Amino acid sequence: MKRRTFLIGAASACLEASLPAFADTPQAYSWDLSPPTDSREAFVKWAVKTRGEDPKYLAERFDRYRILVANRDLWNDANKRAFLLTPREEFCLKRNLGRAYDNAFLDIGYGVTISGPHVVGRMTSSIDVKKGEKVLEIGTGSGYQSAYLSHLTDKVWTIEIIKPLAERTRGVYDDLIKRGYNEFNAISTKNADGYFGWQEAAPFDKIIVTCGIDHIPPPLLQQLKPNGIMVIPVGPPGAQHILKVVKQQASDGTITVARSDIYNGRIVPFVPFTKLEGDKIVGTHNK
Amino acid sequence: MSSAILPKRSDGRKTSDLLVYFGVGFEAGAVIALQIAIMRIFSIGSWAHFGSLVVSLAMLGFGLMSTIMCIAKDWFARHWRLVCGAALLSFGPLAIAANLIAQQVPFNAIFLVSDPNQKWRLLANFLLYFTPFLAGAAFLGSVFLQARTRFNRVYFADLLGSGLCGLVVLAAMYVFAPQDLILAPLLLWLAAGIAWFFAVEGKRALAALGLVALVAFSAHLWLAPALGLAKLAVSDYKGVAYARKFPDSQRVYARNSPFGYLEIYASSYLHFAPGLSDNAAFNLKEFPVNAYEGLYIDGDGPSGIIRTLPASQTDYYFYLPMIYPYLVKPNADTFVVQFGGGLSTAVALTRSKHVTIAESNPAILHAFLNDRGLRSFTGDILHDPRVTVVGYEGRLYLAHTPQRYDVIDLSLADSTGLSSPGGFAIVEKFAYTREAIETYMRALKPGGVLAVTLWNKEEPPKSVLKLYATMVSAARANGDQDVAQEFFATSCYLSTATVLYKKGGLDAADIALLRKHTAAMSFDAIYYPGFQYDEKQTDKVLDGFRSQIFFDASKPPADDVAPDASAPPGASGAEQGEPAPAVVPAVTMGQLAWHALINGNFDDIAKRYVFDARPLTNDRPYFAAYIKPLDLPRILDRLELVQDEWGYLLLWATLGVAGLCASTLIVLPVVFGWRTVFSATPGKLRTILYFACLGAGYIMVEVGLIAEFVQALSNATVSAAILITGMLVASGLGSLTSERFFPSAPKTLPKILAAIGLLLVAYGLLIHAPLDFIGMFPYGARLFFCFLLIFPPAFLMGFPMPTAMGALARLEKDHMFLWAWGINGCFSVIGAALVPLVGTSFGLSAVLYASGAAYLVAIPAFFGVILPVAGKRTWNEAQV
Repeated sequence: MKRRTFLIGAASACLEASLPAFADTPQAYSWDLSPPTDSREAFVKWAVKTRGEDPKYLAERFDRYRILVANRDLWNDANKRAFLLTPREEFCLKRNLGRAYDNAFLDIGYGVTISGPHVVGRMTSSIDVKKGEKVLEIGTGSGYQSAYLSHLTDKVWTIEIIKPLAERTRGVYDDLIKRGYNEFNAISTKNADGYFGWQEAAPFDKIIVTCGIDHIPPPLLQQLKPNGIMVIPVGPPGAQHILKVVKQQASDGTITVARSDIYNGRIVPFVPFTKLEGDKIVGTHNK
Repeated sequence: MSSAILPKRSDGRKTSDLLVYFGVGFEAGAVIALQIAIMRIFSIGSWAHFGSLVVSLAMLGFGLMSTIMCIAKDWFARHWRLVCGAALLSFGPLAIAANLIAQQVPFNAIFLVSDPNQKWRLLANFLLYFTPFLAGAAFLGSVFLQARTRFNRVYFADLLGSGLCGLVVLAAMYVFAPQDLILAPLLLWLAAGIAWFFAVEGKRALAALGLVALVAFSAHLWLAPALGLAKLAVSDYKGVAYARKFPDSQRVYARNSPFGYLEIYASSYLHFAPGLSDNAAFNLKEFPVNAYEGLYIDGDGPSGIIRTLPASQTDYYFYLPMIYPYLVKPNADTFVVQFGGGLSTAVALTRSKHVTIAESNPAILHAFLNDRGLRSFTGDILHDPRVTVVGYEGRLYLAHTPQRYDVIDLSLADSTGLSSPGGFAIVEKFAYTREAIETYMRALKPGGVLAVTLWNKEEPPKSVLKLYATMVSAARANGDQDVAQEFFATSCYLSTATVLYKKGGLDAADIALLRKHTAAMSFDAIYYPGFQYDEKQTDKVLDGFRSQIFFDASKPPADDVAPDASAPPGASGAEQGEPAPAVVPAVTMGQLAWHALINGNFDDIAKRYVFDARPLTNDRPYFAAYIKPLDLPRILDRLELVQDEWGYLLLWATLGVAGLCASTLIVLPVVFGWRTVFSATPGKLRTILYFACLGAGYIMVEVGLIAEFVQALSNATVSAAILITGMLVASGLGSLTSERFFPSAPKTLPKILAAIGLLLVAYGLLIHAPLDFIGMFPYGARLFFCFLLIFPPAFLMGFPMPTAMGALARLEKDHMFLWAWGINGCFSVIGAALVPLVGTSFGLSAVLYASGAAYLVAIPAFFGVILPVAGKRTWNEAQV
């Protein structure tokens, strides 16, 4: 943590000297960044050099990455890369930093949680966001989900209903952008009632709803492109089932909506808190 | 027996027995009032179940104190005046301090498994709230010890005080806001102190009491607000906490009563449309906006209160599942079983010539009938000339009315709009039992339709399967011949499920109409007459759901069930133009359940299903407790997956902790004194058994009957009040009467114990019929009849404890006297935790059978209690 404090201090000094918008992230983000995945050491070394991040969290991120891949929570290269490039520790409360990469949802204040890495991985992998696609997130919360999305596409919109939380998270993005995470410029944020979507930016290819609701808001279905996909976690935070909604347009123009889960009808075991020892999964954290 | 029960005062004056009784009664009342206040604080601040856990375990304070007193009996006997005074003086300030400190370290249930800190916070809450109970126990224990030869009288005061003060706290809920309800036990404590110090001490002690009380009241009323300390910290994760954060949110109504702390918020950010068809987004011309206010009870919710809609917006109802019965029965004479937020009634009014509504929560009715703002918002729906209001539970009304209806609707009753992390409570859902559904079916006109809608947000499905099973078993119990022809079931994945029952059967036109509407809404057809189910899917679906929960956690997911890089799930279908799967497993499971229900092999399917899918009955009226008890050990390392079952699992935890603490407390005196004191005391093991049976038996009857009596009283709060007060007062009278039978106890008490045992078994067998009968009377009469019903066993149950305690005292088994009191207390905690566990697994009657058995087992054990100590008085000598 001392190093981090130093770097933030250094960043402020740089800003005061009106230097260009990179600070403690030595290399600006580009779509060509490709983190190594063959070993933890190689990844940490690469990321310290290119992203200027704390090796402690980088190591934890890589360990979590290995588990998510083993559990099939991440299953394509774009999502694996997005996970490795997103500094989850920046979106957690200070008191939870020690558990930033636990496979657990964490409190972020205001009665809101940051979802566990497995839920974010599964949900985002399942909608297979491609570069250039427009994605809307309802419920910015910590900002982690949209930060992750910004490594998949350059068009992300996110809405938060709780004003102080929206402002805090906007501040987190602004701070990170100043420090060189220029990929977060792709994220447009606003404090509003997400029920009504973001009409000015519609239609969207994909929509992620991360707040509880007793029905799918009609404006969101309207703002989804034909054949677009929406995902909504349903259920208690530890055992969320992810509802997948596909907007289908028949050849005669009739629009219908198909509900399923993200596994297309396959019953998949929940594997919530997997524990890694060395390179092996050895049961759950609760045992 | 004419001497005072306590020695003379320090100034040499005689103590007043009456004032001593008042002191004991008020202090016992303060203890019970504090229990209720803490439970209310947890209900409103976080989650009621943890309140029960904390309070149950805090009652172990009685066990701990008895152990301490047993070990250091002589010291306590010498210093009884000091102990009583100090314990009594400290109860009030301890209660206030414990609450204020505990509220600064609130814990959050939803992080209990994932955040290690939460366990320590829970422990801190428990230890803090434990302290005043310890003080209360020290006072009562010392008085009992000092007045042990007249135990039955002091015990009478204790029970009467507890019982009546329970009622006082309920009344106090009208007066004090939830954060100030703790003032009720504080006032009772003050009353206890005045009576006690006036009787036993003198002016100086009274002055000290005044000073301490001033500090306690000031700390709560002035110091806490001045220092910005929360008196009741409401979790950010409570439903109402979100509503309070909306920028335009306004609290338009708030009222506190024993029926809950009811709040209504208005905000443009509140959106409800429970079960709305997704197709409404593309077909509905005008969507109502700002149509709802949110109703919260004890901070939980919201339930939507719909405003009166202009005609141009009522098409919206067409896309809700509540519309189903009116498709086949337009212009109906309708009965809405539970009014709730009024949505079902609003839908019904657009399609009915008359609507009768029932609402069992007086607080809700009071708000809708009297609040000007709410009346205006809802178009004064309850004063609509087409609406008749029934002020109690619809189930009870329908059971006794000769009136028959075209449509009976039970939609999303008792449930909030959003799935809250709190999960299920172990509460009795008598509106959904087989017996209730039979009643609804019987109250239909020929060709009438019963519609039941339930949330379908569980995966694997739980409640909906229980509902399906309950409805079919109800039709069969009513003697219907062709159940296959009577039902239509539909659901929307992770939204709602609706079952329709048509008396006399659905005809071809009905079926075609319902299927057409279901398709138009993009809902799934789960069952209709003539539905074909492919049995080849059965094994795969049942095994799949089982392995979804009980997978081998030590292995990564197998390739055949998990996504892999070559065939990513989710996006692949839509992106590559593949059709989405026609049916998700949860839908297939519903279809499989109906197929089995109609063909009569549901028991086999229920056995193989991952969760309990048995129907609800009046004896087992629970949606909760869906984990099969034998699966419990395998769920411990994956508790997150069953977060909605934590209320039930907490009871097991309570039982485990209580069992552990109780055995430690029981063993401690043995370790310290077995060889010296106890070795000379005959009948030890039987004495333990006797008081364990009494402790567990009494509380099991009390808690079990609270659940049973909801059937007649339709409200858990009132049922708890009448049971606690009724039983304790009746037992208090029993305790007082037992004095007359004391000399002949070796002969009479076994008979009384046998009578109690047999009465309880009889109640277990027969109680549902009288409760159903009582349910048809006006509320005041119902309360009276309920009291009459519990009086006989409760009166007799007042005999065994004081008789045996008096016996121990007079036979000079003073250590056993203290120890027995503690054993009784410990087993009360264990018994209370056992009730819902036995109730959910075996039915509420089984609770009464078990208590009956406990009293019968106490018969032989009693003869161990009255064995004389060698060289000391015998029973006959003790009577002199």
